[in-house]
Amino acid sequence: MSEITLRVTLNRVPMELRAEAGKSLLRILREDLGMTSVKEGCGQGDCGACVIVLDGEAVNSCLVLAAQADGAEIITLEGLALQGVLHPLQRAFSEMWAFQCGFCAPGMLMSAYALLLHTPSPTRDEIEEAIEGNLCRCTSYRAVIEAIDAAASELRREGLAAGAPDA
Amino acid sequence: MTVPDVLSPSTLTEALDLLRRHAGRARLIAGGTDLIPRLRLGENRPAVLINLSRVSIPGLRREGDWIIVGAGMTHSALARAPEIRKHFPALACCCQSIGGRPVRNRGTIGGNLANASPAADTAPALLIYDAELRLLRSEGERCIPISELFTGPGATVLREDEMIVEVCLPLPRPRSGASFIKLGRRQSMAIAVVSVAARLTLDAADCAAEVRLAMGSVAPVPFRAATAEGLLLGAPLEEERIRAAAAAAREAASPISDLRATASYRSRMVEVLARRALYLAWEAARV
Amino acid sequence: MPLPVSCGARVSPPERPMPELEVVGHPAAAVRAHEIVTGRALYTRDLGIPGTLVGRLLYTPIPCGRIRRLDVRAARRLPGVTAILTAADVPGENSYLYSIPDQPLLASEVVRFQGEVVAAVAAENEEAAARALEAIEVEVEPLPGVHDVLEAMRPGAMQVWPDRPNVHSRLVIERGQVDRGFARADVVIENQYLTPWVEHAFLETEAALAMLDHTGTVVVYSPGQSPHRDRRQIARALGLPEVRVRVITPAIGGAFGGKDEAHVQIHAALLAQATSRPVLIERSREESIRTHVKRHPVQVRYRTGALRDGRLTAIHVEAIGDTGPYLGAGAEIMACLAATVFGPYRVPAARIEACTVLTNNPVCGAMRGFGIPQGQFACELQMDDLARRLGIDPLEVRLRNGLETGDEIPTGVRMRQAGGMKGCLIEAARMAGWDRRREIERAPAPHLRRGWGMASILFTVGMGRNVPDFAGASLDMALDGTVSLRTGASDMGQGAHTALAQLAAEALGVPLESVRVVAPDTDQAPNAGPAAASRTTFVSGNAVLRAAEPIRHTLLQIASEKTGLPLNVLGLRGGRLIAEGETLSLNVAELAREAALQSRGLHADGFYAMEYPEPHPPDAYPHAYSVFTFATQVARVLVDVETGQIKVEEIVAVQDAGQVVNPAAALGQVEGGCAMGIGYALLEELIVHEGRTLNNSLEGYLVPTVRDVPPIRARLLEYPEPFAPYGAKGIGESSLTPTAPAIANAVADAIGVPIRRLPITPERVLDALERGEDGRVR
Repeated sequence: MSEITLRVTLNRVPMELRAEAGKSLLRILREDLGMTSVKEGCGQGDCGACVIVLDGEAVNSCLVLAAQADGAEIITLEGLALQGVLHPLQRAFSEMWAFQCGFCAPGMLMSAYALLLHTPSPTRDEIEEAIEGNLCRCTSYRAVIEAIDAAASELRREGLAAGAPDA
Repeated sequence: MTVPDVLSPSTLTEALDLLRRHAGRARLIAGGTDLIPRLRLGENRPAVLINLSRVSIPGLRREGDWIIVGAGMTHSALARAPEIRKHFPALACCCQSIGGRPVRNRGTIGGNLANASPAADTAPALLIYDAELRLLRSEGERCIPISELFTGPGATVLREDEMIVEVCLPLPRPRSGASFIKLGRRQSMAIAVVSVAARLTLDAADCAAEVRLAMGSVAPVPFRAATAEGLLLGAPLEEERIRAAAAAAREAASPISDLRATASYRSRMVEVLARRALYLAWEAARV
Repeated sequence: MPLPVSCGARVSPPERPMPELEVVGHPAAAVRAHEIVTGRALYTRDLGIPGTLVGRLLYTPIPCGRIRRLDVRAARRLPGVTAILTAADVPGENSYLYSIPDQPLLASEVVRFQGEVVAAVAAENEEAAARALEAIEVEVEPLPGVHDVLEAMRPGAMQVWPDRPNVHSRLVIERGQVDRGFARADVVIENQYLTPWVEHAFLETEAALAMLDHTGTVVVYSPGQSPHRDRRQIARALGLPEVRVRVITPAIGGAFGGKDEAHVQIHAALLAQATSRPVLIERSREESIRTHVKRHPVQVRYRTGALRDGRLTAIHVEAIGDTGPYLGAGAEIMACLAATVFGPYRVPAARIEACTVLTNNPVCGAMRGFGIPQGQFACELQMDDLARRLGIDPLEVRLRNGLETGDEIPTGVRMRQAGGMKGCLIEAARMAGWDRRREIERAPAPHLRRGWGMASILFTVGMGRNVPDFAGASLDMALDGTVSLRTGASDMGQGAHTALAQLAAEALGVPLESVRVVAPDTDQAPNAGPAAASRTTFVSGNAVLRAAEPIRHTLLQIASEKTGLPLNVLGLRGGRLIAEGETLSLNVAELAREAALQSRGLHADGFYAMEYPEPHPPDAYPHAYSVFTFATQVARVLVDVETGQIKVEEIVAVQDAGQVVNPAAALGQVEGGCAMGIGYALLEELIVHEGRTLNNSLEGYLVPTVRDVPPIRARLLEYPEPFAPYGAKGIGESSLTPTAPAIANAVADAIGVPIRRLPITPERVLDALERGEDGRVR
């Protein structure tokens, strides 16, 4: 099986590593890059637990092969907080019980982050669209929607873009 | 999953060359949203994957009376592209109905077509819009109408060394309206139980100058219900005729029973959805 | 960050004033919130120990047969394969399941269901493990299986076991004169109800990381609901004393009862013992759906007798549960169903029969509700049928029969606290605008029909009389006044650790942030029993309070000595000393240090066992429950009568929650229960054909997405529960139970025909409309 040199920017830090071309990005992130926030729930794109942000878009990392990730900019949940300061999404999720067991939370947060990168004032329908590919078995999604909405409001209030360094 | 060799060409020419050299033992991978699950379950075991992520195929452009869509365009890009939303709303709608956002961000229209599921979400819309596909191989190219692409469940006329590069959409005539309805077992992330797309173009006398009615998930391939279309063509639209067309569409379908639905339910739904889709298309045409 | 307005505006009944609580009753963030939102929460697969072997299990190729050949020699010789175990390699007992351990860990002669394990492999990496699985030579000669539960019950039917009857048990609960009850009834209604196999679909599939530590102790990290019980089973299989096994619970990605039984822990421990290496077993989603226990499919025949005014006179219920080939907790689940199937109503006479039947279908076990949802589904549809038959409003018929405090139920128990029954019912009806529902458009379009339905349910807390139901907890205060709480109770997302921390903080008068809940660890924490039966808040909560009491007492004693103030005016609040409500300058840290100076300990263990002080009639059901919760939900649906598709427009959910420990968490539990209930009502069904599940993926087995869950208006009512910590009790399961029957009743209201089978699929709706009669179960 062919090994390639994979160059990515992971959470704003350039990385280079050797990986099997056909290994999934999910496994590379977890096993080779230590990003254990990325969860496997089904391995085939049915649940959204493994969602990360790749080149600014939410994708299922279980459906991306290493060879397809070469050159990409990747954000995982580990990269959301900056210098220890939680992103408004993280604070909102935490304060508003937008999770219970927490397993879907990384994927949810990444879908939400991708949404706010492009849509700073999402409607409720846009929020639902952003997370309809993320299954949650614990909540009714209500708290997730409200947390995303609250985070979006806070970012707007502070005049920050979702992905800004001091967000 | 048994992972095959992955080759990553940088240009379309390279990709076609690899496809030719590995013909019969290679599969193209773009978004991978259909292929990777199948690889994982061992349903496909190609020796080689040809990764198209470095190959840039032009996205969307206008050429005279045509909109040309690159096969590598993702469903989410298509769903939000202004030209698609304006001129081909049924296509935007069906792209939006695929999976969830993360799947739509990766899955491509070319992949959806080449995968050739009987439930392929983009197919009914492309059928009603008279799409043509530009197929490319090292040795040359050809264009086929979308109606000639599918030959059976998971099967197309694509040669082993051939790929879809463009989907060409003729701009609909004025007074044309379209609709797309997908019935799934839940409101999102659902494989179509039945999907129907309809398009009507009205002439000066408000008769149907053009009729297109296409269905997915109710036959080995997505297809147009020609008899149903014929019942409406050239005539004024009215309830009786629409009902007759919907019934004819039902006759034309040959659904199977599977985990999602029985054949008889699908059959009934073809009629219901065809009627609704035709009404919606008629509404849209009259606006 | 503003909290949502919908966060459970608490409504206490006017005759009971709210106690002044500092921490309990406040919507604090989850104790592990920070880890979770930063992605640092460690679930079993995240632990990452270098040198860990990949463990995989080989499952039987067919559900039912005789193992003709099982040869692992070739596989053992493959490079990278470290160990392969079969039945002969189990040092201790080759069986598990916590109640009746009749399931083999590794099958030896026969396989009885699709999830039977025939071999366990440990290898250096995934590829080697996969090759090993393929190289194991296994031949299973097919044997005819028992797949129809009614067939299985017939005399002369093929037996699943050579030495055990298919009908494992037939529990009968009888009270009052049933025949007389039916004789004096003005109307008798009998219907058949059917519920399917249901999958937990927790997001985190089963996993276990097992290893030997430096003392040779077998350590197992795994998401499990009962670490002490798992420890016992692991020890039993490995042939070790229990104290030579240590079970630790990392973060759990959902369980809902599906991680109550041991899943892969024991196999992982066997491999670790055999290889002396760490071994991680993870189940793929397909393996998970195929192999772990399911919710029992139950057939219920329910006969109800009532007077013209709607008052019940008698019920006769027969419930049959298909438990698969291994009993596990099957009989207990059917017993739980039987002990509640009469619902939250006064039933003067009842005869209830619950059969647990063995088949070669999927093994069934605990799932959120433990048999009660299936029974309450039948009960609540019966009540609506009664209402229709008598021309009485569904709300009225429930009010007329509703339990009140002091009433006796068919298990022989008197209700200690039943205010929640009518309280929830009335409040839910009010919130839903029940009295004015007919003012809303019933047919907003020719093909649409709107309907309203309600369901009022009875749920239990605890394990029942004469069943072990206890918990220990440890509290330890450090010199800086911070507190560690050691509990064996698992937090699987239901918020148990946050609740226990709040209870400890309240009792000790310290801020919540100064309490740390240590991850459940059998080496450190006392046995708390399973995180199940909605019991954790109650039983472990009381244990925590009992541990807090001596520590609090010592602190106040010292404070009294230091200040010269009498004990009875002193208290602790927010980490400071208070006297007659006034905060003093002395803080808990100072008191703690003074305690150490005086060689006075600030550590205590608390123990609590469920209390049954009331006498129990000798002829009553011996495992009756004494603690109950009530809940009512009202659903509004819109049915497309041409496609059969159902849209749930709104759910109103009112929950009796004792004293709410954390309103935000409790609200989340109620809402989450509704969401799961929507799945149960409309989407979820494992399709089993001749013992094989056909929809083993999350693509084939559908759970609700965000688009499938409508706004849920939830409210918590507080009727403080006697004997409960601050009156608090669990609601994790009762929140799910009313949803499916409420939706089913709403659909019946919409289309005019009841559907007595779950899930209510579009095809079943069209079928019902076509037949235009009472949905007969097929």
